[in-house]
Amino acid sequence: MFFLLISLFIFIISSALIFILCRSKKISACLFLWSLVTACGFGLWSAASVLCQKVTSLPLTNVEFRLTSHLPLGEFFIGIDALSAFFLLLLFIVSLAAGIYGYGYLREYEGPRNVGAHFALYHLLVIVMVLVLVARNAILFLAAWELMTIISYFLITFYNESEAVRKAGFIYLVAAHLGVFCLALMFLIMGAQAGSMNFDQMTATRFPLGLAGFLFVLAFVGFGIKAGFMPFHIWLPRAHPAAPSHISALLSAVLIKIGIYGLMRMIIIVKDFPLWCAVGLLIMAVISAVGGMLYALGQGEIKKLLAYSSIENIGIISLGLGVGMMGHVYHQDAVAFIGYTAALVHAFNHAMFKGLLFLSAGSVIRSTHTGDMESMGGLFKWLPWTGHLFLIGSLTICGLPLFSGFISEWLVFRALLEGIFHLDILGIILLSLGIVALSLIGGLAALCFAKAFGVIFLGENRSGQEHHYNEDDLMMRGPMILLAAICLWVGLFPSNIVDAAFQGTQAITGMLVPEALKAAIIIPLLLVTRVLLFGGSIFVVLALLRKFSTQGYQIHLSETWRCGYAKITSRMQYTASSFTQPMLKIFRTILFFKVETVRPKGYFPAETKLSSSVKDVSQDLLFRPLFYGIKRFSRKLKWIQSGHTQTYILYILFLLVILLIWKLC
Amino acid sequence: MNIFLLLHVLILFIFPPLLLGIIGKTKAFFAGRIGPPLLQPYFDLYKLLHKASVYSVTTHWIFRAAPMISTAAILSAGILMPIANLRPPVQFGGDIILFVYLFALARFVIILAALDTGSSFEGMGASREATFGAFSEIAMFFNLTILALLSRKLSLSGIFLGGLSSSWVLVGPVLILVVVSFFLVLLVENSRIPIDDPDTHLELTMIHEVMVLDHSGVDLCYILYGNAVKLFLFSTMLVSIIFTFRSPDIFLNLVLFILEIVGLAILIGVVESTMARLRLNKVPYLLFSAFIFSIIGFIVILVRGH
Repeated sequence: MFFLLISLFIFIISSALIFILCRSKKISACLFLWSLVTACGFGLWSAASVLCQKVTSLPLTNVEFRLTSHLPLGEFFIGIDALSAFFLLLLFIVSLAAGIYGYGYLREYEGPRNVGAHFALYHLLVIVMVLVLVARNAILFLAAWELMTIISYFLITFYNESEAVRKAGFIYLVAAHLGVFCLALMFLIMGAQAGSMNFDQMTATRFPLGLAGFLFVLAFVGFGIKAGFMPFHIWLPRAHPAAPSHISALLSAVLIKIGIYGLMRMIIIVKDFPLWCAVGLLIMAVISAVGGMLYALGQGEIKKLLAYSSIENIGIISLGLGVGMMGHVYHQDAVAFIGYTAALVHAFNHAMFKGLLFLSAGSVIRSTHTGDMESMGGLFKWLPWTGHLFLIGSLTICGLPLFSGFISEWLVFRALLEGIFHLDILGIILLSLGIVALSLIGGLAALCFAKAFGVIFLGENRSGQEHHYNEDDLMMRGPMILLAAICLWVGLFPSNIVDAAFQGTQAITGMLVPEALKAAIIIPLLLVTRVLLFGGSIFVVLALLRKFSTQGYQIHLSETWRCGYAKITSRMQYTASSFTQPMLKIFRTILFFKVETVRPKGYFPAETKLSSSVKDVSQDLLFRPLFYGIKRFSRKLKWIQSGHTQTYILYILFLLVILLIWKLC
Repeated sequence: MNIFLLLHVLILFIFPPLLLGIIGKTKAFFAGRIGPPLLQPYFDLYKLLHKASVYSVTTHWIFRAAPMISTAAILSAGILMPIANLRPPVQFGGDIILFVYLFALARFVIILAALDTGSSFEGMGASREATFGAFSEIAMFFNLTILALLSRKLSLSGIFLGGLSSSWVLVGPVLILVVVSFFLVLLVENSRIPIDDPDTHLELTMIHEVMVLDHSGVDLCYILYGNAVKLFLFSTMLVSIIFTFRSPDIFLNLVLFILEIVGLAILIGVVESTMARLRLNKVPYLLFSAFIFSIIGFIVILVRGH
């Protein structure tokens, strides 16, 4: 706790200093970099020290810190348990990487915005995110949550000269405030039930099952908007492309995970839920996972694609969470433990690989000045570092063995299969639905990221002109290498992170995970490494065989075989949309996938067009009509707002009279 | 014990191309020809190993490494699979997931290699392979889930070494559905005839073969060998579902296994000789039906089990 306070202290002081000195770009950037590195170092130390403690008996360790002097609405009460520490770990790693990258990214920035203020806001965002994770008082939590929304709004709208960016920021703000409304209501009900706004007293309270269900719905909407569950996700695919790349990385890797953290914290507080909550969560998880992936397939803009794939991964995380809740409802502790652990490990891994993908996508956009994949191609030669790092990110997100994505998808599958063995018929049906969804996602993710990597980096440049692109400098490459190394490290040696996730699971369930169960999960993961080692040695043998058998032969270099066609240009390559067309066509009814063509006319057609599009159902068929309806309705009430202060005072009088009558009756 | 491990690995490495030879012989028989010798696939691989390669200037290391990575991944999947009732070298609860994902890895790198050439033909093949692969993966996973549910085991060796022995008596119809579904998956995954034609690759309707248009020499050798191993592993799985009989005598097991797998190869050859290739837009229906077969099987289990 001491180190975390030091870290927070450094962040606060340095962000104040950067605000004061923000006129000078050089000084503020330097200050930003050094304070970021030291503060994240202290923060990581504090998180790791909590996770490394071996817990052998109940109650679980929970480091706490209170300021006894009362603030207006409750005390300043913070604490770190294993769950907070787990999320602090990923928060500090990604903040460090994205921050250093942002320093490099904005070094060349010559626009009208104040970069110093941006850096100071970045520090503030990290501070409030830490506060959300360690808050043990509902008022403090809500205040930090609200500040998190507002500060991230300012960071997203960095390029606010563009109309689209302003609109994206506005939608984010509206969506986030709808969420805060639900959360405030939820915490007020909890506080009323417990008689205190402190989490420890809330945890000690018993909530009746019906109320728990209602609270869960509020939490699901409130936290789900932040996390990006499927019907509430509409802010995500707009805000991510609008923000600068290091901010999109932070949003996608950390901010939406805080929504998941909130849901987990809520599960700790309320403990017992009716069955339909777990069922509902599982169904929503499947919808988010499959829906997010399908929409990602239809995108031609790289950051939009990554944003939709974040929705998919939130779906996978909540599949784990749903299995955990199912296990809890059915009193199958093993199922609950594996489910929660899978959710936590996937949250960590997603933070790493999505951070990596957003940062490398940022490098692509920086050098090509566009996010449109259709005009890219052949960038592997120009941007070898970025290309390799994006490749690692793609392999990881597809859950392929050797990288960390496989470990967490394996865990989610394992949780689903464990549940199928131990639950009743309803559980079996739901969890096998989860298995179908997860295996479908596996294939779709491979399609989606083969498209992203293949179209951007492989083949020839589709614009048809020769371009020269510059690779990033070390300041931007370094953080990406760090994240890629973590992906590989977790993929090969998963036991540390799985162990840490088990600690988090103990904090969620309030029970000790038996050592036998831990071994039953970790030993297979070690055997996976052994299989990969075997694969690696086969690879080496094949490479040697290849070397010896072709010794003495000359390697011919030539053009790609054109199947006999004489005049082929790079514009004739398969494009991003043609690559995914067969799959989108299969799902055309769900996605409203449409291909519009202008047929060539005459013997010598001058020009023709083809465009394909996918429609986001919840945006175009749910929220747009809903908000237009609200707008139309509120227009009818416009006469209330006359603009005269006297009238408003009259309204207050009326209200008071009504309240008086109500009280007297 | 170690001798058995060695035997397992030897069968895995050496046996697979023979299956292609048997299929070729069967097809030749139906066409009224004598056909190439049974060992022709081995001769082809040996020939390709000693050929020089031509590389496109558009390609990167991905193009050259992909055949090796994919073959290595497929062979690693092989050490999880019990062959001829021999215990595999590695087994653990949950290795069915790794098994499927290793094939996914093999497919993914070959798709990247196809995109690496920048050819629109290979892009087309890659797109189709990725699309159909996604569906066959679901059917595969669902079938494995059913088998895991029946045997209450999460490892391939648990399922296939005795886990299913009583299931044929108790829930025979389910296993028949699984076998049918699995056979369709086998045809799709190995680009056999109703879906794809492994013999030609210059038509617009090809899937897998068109992806490897630019590979030549030793790279092509690895790809063909990898495909043979994949076919062998899928066939092994299918015969292990159908024939659950085990004898304590290892050599009797071995002989039986070879008979079973040769029979399956002949069956594939018969299917290839008697059927025409499906039109490309009909392939998803076939994949859906594979999936639906397994769902029906699943429902039967739910009804029977509860």
